[in-house]
Formats: sequence, structure tokens, C-alpha cells
Amino acid sequence: MAQAPVRSTVSPKTSQRKLEDRTKAIFILPAVFWILAFTVFPLLYALYTSFFSFRFGQINQFVGLQNFARLFTDGNLHSDLRITLIFVASTVAVEMILGFALALLLNQEMRGRNVLRAIMTLPLFATPVAIGYLGITIYLETNGPINTFIRALGGQGIPWLSHPTWALVAIIIIDIWQWTPFVFLVSLAGLQSLPQDLYEAAEVDGGAGWQLFRYITLPLMAPVLWLILLLRLVEAFKVFDIPTSLTLGGPGRATEVYSLYTYRTALRFFDHGYAAAQGFLLLFIVMLIVTLLYGRIRELYQEEG
Amino acid sequence: MHRKRSLAGNILLAGVLIILLFWVLFPFYWAFLNSIKKPADTFQSSWIPFLQFQPTLEHWRNELAIPEIRRALWNSTVISVGAATLASVLGTLAAYALARFHFHKPQNGTLTTWFLSQRVLPPVVVVIPFFLLMRQLHLLDSVVALILLNATFTLPFPVIILSQMIRDLPLELEEAAWVDGASRFQSFLQIVIPLILPGLVATWIIAMAFSWNEFLFALSLTTKKAIPMPVIIAGAEHTRGVQFWFVGVRVLMTMLPPLFLALLAQRWIIRGLTLGAVKG
Repeated sequence: MAQAPVRSTVSPKTSQRKLEDRTKAIFILPAVFWILAFTVFPLLYALYTSFFSFRFGQINQFVGLQNFARLFTDGNLHSDLRITLIFVASTVAVEMILGFALALLLNQEMRGRNVLRAIMTLPLFATPVAIGYLGITIYLETNGPINTFIRALGGQGIPWLSHPTWALVAIIIIDIWQWTPFVFLVSLAGLQSLPQDLYEAAEVDGGAGWQLFRYITLPLMAPVLWLILLLRLVEAFKVFDIPTSLTLGGPGRATEVYSLYTYRTALRFFDHGYAAAQGFLLLFIVMLIVTLLYGRIRELYQEEG
Repeated sequence: MHRKRSLAGNILLAGVLIILLFWVLFPFYWAFLNSIKKPADTFQSSWIPFLQFQPTLEHWRNELAIPEIRRALWNSTVISVGAATLASVLGTLAAYALARFHFHKPQNGTLTTWFLSQRVLPPVVVVIPFFLLMRQLHLLDSVVALILLNATFTLPFPVIILSQMIRDLPLELEEAAWVDGASRFQSFLQIVIPLILPGLVATWIIAMAFSWNEFLFALSLTTKKAIPMPVIIAGAEHTRGVQFWFVGVRVLMTMLPPLFLALLAQRWIIRGLTLGAVKG
């Protein structure tokens, strides 16, 4: 870089600055470069491929926005999107309510709370594919433990994995098993950091039970709860592992979630261009959720100060 | 809350706890039970080894002797250790930079959001470019490819968690060292790293568990020699049918390493999973 002659005598201060700049670069650049190489570049490349049709896994010809136009007319995509929405809505709703309710209940002095917390973290780290695979035996219609139990009570066995609705329910139950602990653990951490003196003051004023919950706990917990909701929604839309290992999208296409469809479009039918367009639609949905909820969460955190 | 619980309250609490523990632990126990049952015993509802049935380690021995399984366990280990280590090195450096330096364009906040966005991005969006890229680099079906990708997707954990930890350290500790002539790197390595070591180990563990469990990339980019455990498992049902004892052994072999690691990182898990937004 050419510098003006007046400045060419390097003062100790500017050399210090230069050294500082170089140090900064050495610390941050590897990670920045990494993200450029493995996130930004692939995203741009995906955008590029989305304008082409593919043949035998090779770029064939430029088709403009045709791949994106297909998103609007592909009936399979629409039904898979619907399945995914049902999955997201039901799992996240149940997990939020159940997890928060448990946290409220167990937010009391009790022996063994740390052990309980340790046990509750286990499902979060259980390999999802493994749990799906294990689910095949648990849900087995002939002699799986659930149906055996139902029959012992005098009921009829449930066609868990062979009925379209029940198969989706089976997947939803496993997801609830895996992620309710997340809502529970984070809510509990939130509850334990609430200022106790507020409750004491409110009790002096005659507040009790439901009122304490409605006017103190809930407003104070709002930011954490919105944050949990955001994280769960984003994660739920990405669902792939459990349906793939438990039902492979079946019976028929009853449990073919969005990511599974895109995976098949890309790596079973090698329609890379269309798969890229599908990917961007999913990215758009997720980004929409993040944008909508993130603004709300920032507001709430700021109100709290 | 310090109020005394009533008897009814105690009973309710105990009841909920029992149901909760049963619900959470049943699948693990079910897998364990089947892994030590003789095939004939798996058709009976028996729940207590030694009393109701004679347990056997035969299936464990058989499965561990299969070359594909051994290779998959080895691949999973290499991939998750490699990815977690790579993410930790890159992430710790970036965390220090975000905590201690001011960046102007892009600003610190923007940079942080960048790193966070890794965990928002649906993997299926980038799986095709990765596939084409790795094909170009002749890295399809290699553990290297999976190390690179898992490092990318676990990078947010060390960056976000450790930058908060470093911000909480008093700057004076480092300044004292600089006065004595130490450089940035020396104060980073000799003062900061030892102080954040617990967090560093914990994020390494979380990154490792996530890489171990990762399925989509593993499925898309491996065909034979680089196949890790989750992919082995996903294919097993269709070649062998549902044999309870195999399912039990394989499921446990796959799940035990990340579960064990998660217990070690206990204290940091909430912070890790909420990307630092909630201290657990």
C-alpha cells in the first residue's frame, strides 16, 4: 500500500497498531475462512446449480427459474411439506408444554435433583438414528413391548408402523422423547435464575399460586421460553434421522418429511438442480421463523434490561 | 420456593418422578435387555436378568467380531475426534478474537451471528454442493470429508461458549503478562487457555457427541470404507430383518460413547445447546 511521504516515518504507535492488526487477523481469519469455504461457497454453489437441469449427476443445461417454478406445482413436495408442518407443530407444542410444566413442578428443593438433571440429558445425546432403529422393535406390531402391554390390558394392538397416521404418531412420540428434556432443562435453568425476592414481596402483598405464576413467573420467563421455541422450531424443521431410520418415509409416503424428500431428489434421482431449489425453500422457511422470533426475543431481553 | 410441601404434593411429585424416569430410561433398558437375551428369550416378556432368563454376552462378542462393525466404530471415532479437535482449535482462536478485539467491518456482533447461523442452516441445503465438491476433490467415501463437514457444523459451540468465558476473565491478568514482555499469543496460551480449560473440554465433548451422531452427511458421502456407526445401523434392518438381539447390541454400541461423554459435560450442556443464551 502506497502511503503519503509525510506519514512514511513509522511512529512506534502505528507499528504497534499494525502488529495488533496482524494478531487480530491470525486469531479470527482461520474460522472466517473456514465458514467462507464450507458454508458460503456451498450455498453459492447450490444457488448456481439451482438454475440448471442435471443428467446422470452432471450439469446439463441452463433452465432459468424452472426448478423454482416446480416448487409450486409439485404435489409430492406439497404433501411432504404438510407432513413436516404437522410434525413440527405437534412435536414443538407438546414439548414446550410438557417440558415447561415439568420444570415448574420440579423447580423445588428436593434430593437428587442433580441426578435427575443428568438422567434428563441422556435422550438429547442418544444417536437419533439408533433410537429410530430401536423404535422398530419397540413399536413392533406382533410382539413389541407396547402392543404386548396393550393386549395384556385387554386392548387391541396398534398398527404402529403400517398405518399412515400411526406411523407419523410413532415418529412424533420419539421426537418428544428426545427433545422434551431440552425444554425441561433450559426452563429449569431459567426458573432457578429468577429473583426470589420478587416472590417474597408478592406474597407479602397477598398474591398466591396462580397469580404469582401469571404475573411474575410467566413474564419473567417469556424471553427464555421464546428462545426455546425458536431453537426447537428450527431444529424440528430439519428433521431427517428418525423418520429415515424408523419408517423410511413409509408406509407409502406417509412419513416422508421435507429433508428426506430433498435427500431423495438429490441422491436417489440425481436431480441436483431441483433439490437445490427445494433446499432454498426450506432455508427460506427457517430464516422466516428466525427473523420473526428473533426480533421478539431481542425486544423481550431489552425490556428486562 | 421455600414453601413446605403437603403430603399430597409429595405424593404427586414422587409419582411424576417415577413416570418420568420410566419414560426416559425405558428405551435404554429395552435395548440393554435384548442385547443380553438369547434369541428365544426375546419373544417372552421377561425383564430381570438371572431371575427370569439367563443372560448371554454372545451377541456382543459376535457383533464386535464383524469387520464392518469394527471399521465403523473406528471410523466414527476418527471422525468425531478429528472434527471436535479441529472445531475446538479454530473456535478457540475465534472466541479469543471476538472477546478481546474490536472489529469494525464486519463488527463483532455480525461475526458472532455468522458463526451462530451454522446451526440454523438446514444441512440438506448444502448436502449437494458438499457431495459435488467432495467428488471433485476425490474425497467421497473418506473420513477426511466427514471431519471437515462436522467441524464446520460444530464450530459454533466453541466460538460462542468460549468467547463468553473469555469475556468474563479479567483483562488485568493478561495485561500483567504483557508488561512482563509476553506477546498476545503467549498470554493466550499460558494464561487464557488454562483458565478456560473446563469449558474447552466441555465444548470439545459436545462437538464430538454431535459429530458422532451426525447422519445425513455420513449417509450421503460414504459408500463403503468410511461408513460410520449411524449409517451401519440405518441399513441393518433391510438386510437382516428385525432381530431384537442385533438391534439391541448395535443400538447400544452406537449410543454409548456420546451418552457417556454427555454425562461428563453435564454442567455445560444447557449453555451449549442454547448457544450460550442461557447459563445452566
